[in-house]
Amino acid sequence: MVSAGTRVLKQRYRLRRLLGRVISYLLVWLMAFFFLFPILWMIFTAFKPTTDVSRFPLQLLPHDVKMVEVEGQLYPLYVVREPGKPPRTMARIKVAQGQATFVDPANPADVLETRNRYGEPVLTVKFEWHNFVDAMYRGSRPGLHVNFWTYLKNSSVIAILAIIGTLVSSTPAAYGFSRIQWPGREKLFLVLLATMMLPFQVTMIPLYLFFTEFLHWGDSNLPIVVPTFFGSAFDIFLLRQFFRGIPEEMLDAARVDGASEFRIFYNIVLPLSKPVLATITIFTFLWAWNDFLGPLLYLNNPEHFTLALGLQDYQGQRNVAWNQLMAASVVFTLPIVILFFFAQRTFIEGIKLTGTKG
Amino acid sequence: MSTSVASKTRGSGRRGSSRRWAGSAYTRRNLLTGLLFISPWLVGFLLFTLYPMISSLYTSFTEYHIRAESDWVGLLNYRQMLADPRFWKALYNTTYMVVVAVPLTLLGSFLCAVLLNLKLRGQSVYRVIYFIPSIVPVVAGSILWVWIYNTNNGLLNTALGWFGIKGPSWLTDPAWAKPALILMGLWAMGTTIVIYLSGLQDVPVSLLEAAELDGASWLQRLWHVTIPMVSPITLFNLILGVIGMFQYFTQAFIFASAQSSTAVSGGRTLGAPLDSTLFYSVYLYHKAFINLKFGYASAMAWVLFIIILICTVLLLRFSERWTYYGEEG
Repeated sequence: MVSAGTRVLKQRYRLRRLLGRVISYLLVWLMAFFFLFPILWMIFTAFKPTTDVSRFPLQLLPHDVKMVEVEGQLYPLYVVREPGKPPRTMARIKVAQGQATFVDPANPADVLETRNRYGEPVLTVKFEWHNFVDAMYRGSRPGLHVNFWTYLKNSSVIAILAIIGTLVSSTPAAYGFSRIQWPGREKLFLVLLATMMLPFQVTMIPLYLFFTEFLHWGDSNLPIVVPTFFGSAFDIFLLRQFFRGIPEEMLDAARVDGASEFRIFYNIVLPLSKPVLATITIFTFLWAWNDFLGPLLYLNNPEHFTLALGLQDYQGQRNVAWNQLMAASVVFTLPIVILFFFAQRTFIEGIKLTGTKG
Repeated sequence: MSTSVASKTRGSGRRGSSRRWAGSAYTRRNLLTGLLFISPWLVGFLLFTLYPMISSLYTSFTEYHIRAESDWVGLLNYRQMLADPRFWKALYNTTYMVVVAVPLTLLGSFLCAVLLNLKLRGQSVYRVIYFIPSIVPVVAGSILWVWIYNTNNGLLNTALGWFGIKGPSWLTDPAWAKPALILMGLWAMGTTIVIYLSGLQDVPVSLLEAAELDGASWLQRLWHVTIPMVSPITLFNLILGVIGMFQYFTQAFIFASAQSSTAVSGGRTLGAPLDSTLFYSVYLYHKAFINLKFGYASAMAWVLFIIILICTVLLLRFSERWTYYGEEG
């Protein structure tokens, strides 16, 4: 009983839907390519043998020249294209002043002397794991006994101390701003919110002078770590939002039983706040791991460099070995990516929390 | 129980404020407990925020000497700033980024979030892919892009070459250095995408269905329902983006230090090529820690603060016209 007209309309509707889906998929894939490809490029560059890094034309996968055994020794394999002759696949056993000696690997007596440029290397996919070892043991300044392991250790120490500092200082402060009634609380909280607007540049110079000239903490991680033990406005704000959601009856019941505020905070509020504490921990780790300006200001001796600073220092040198630099970058990025895959929900929820409640 | 009664009677009489505080043991105890709990932040605020603010304001009116008493010079630093072409260049570069990069990032993030919110197969995988670049540490990401932008054997120019396009010298051509930074910024906009995506998921389905029943096309629904519904998020991201862009530093520092292999610590490459990446915070850093002009740099910091305040107030003021906060207003 369906008329021809509605059938045409239905078909047209289906066609439009199909077209819409095709375009949607194409766009999603295009953007996925844009986001993913640089990361793949970083990973694959990290695995490239040094001769492969700038090989033309560029290839995504790491390659190396295929080696072949000729009379017990390994030689690189080439395709030799002499003009006017069919190409031959041969091992190159000698090269000097543009002239090369090629032999047939199957028949070593078959020797061909010709120009080196007629030979084109036969490539095979090869992942150079050793780049990572080289990168980690190299460090940014050859000659000093400092390498990327040192930077990794320094970054980890700063991150761990920053997490401890933020947790022990910001959680009680957030409790004081949310669950205890005292005169002036809201006004002081407004001050705290206002400090989030303050650009770091305004306090940067006096802080630098205070830490280096007055306290003589220059060239140590103290100026980076110590302030985290004095609360962070952003984290206090996040924690306060969470603490406010805990039912008052739970705390009052404890108060009637004579529990002190500290006990209530420590035994009731904190165990209930695990999700937000996880968020704070991750954000603090990200901040500490990423921070560049802080280490740039305070750390002068490569022995104290963090990964961020060490990587920049390494990149700033002559004749950058891009494969090793990318290997070091992969090592630098990996902990965050692992953390992300283990705590994906905490990451995303944390960002949503800041984005929608801010 | 008696304490809560005491606290209720606190405001009844017409007493002086000091008496009022002292009047209730409960309030006083709470004040002490409260202050004790917030004391880490309070000490930090006084020591690491308030004191440095006052100090840098004072320093901005002085000529700073490290080993000697500073000279009071009044408004000299501020007047020098107005006459300094590099200051204006830095302000121009930063304004360029605020005006071009911030809206572009918002638009790009919104469109990506719209894509990720479509009913397609494998969305959870795409969401991870779109987000991952934003957790790559800024220094590692910037170095990666320096490698991608390499003029002769970089990935980008090679890819452009396949389409017969001769790519520019991204890092050494002053005309292309800022677009190169912006493109890299778009790559790492995952956080903003996540915020937009959660906003899109909060748009009531009933509204979209009602619009669809009324015959609104997909684009009309996007324009008349979705975009107004996420406008508070747009405002939030806009303000954060502007504040962040005025402090743009690390990426520019890495790009500039890739220009020449020497003298990074000497700061001679900052802003390279030809001051095209000399952003406000980069120049401020240069003045403070390379030239050791702490007075001038402090003056710059305060001007930055005032610019950010004005921008935020203006954005909030003008946002009332295009931001929708639901029925209750």
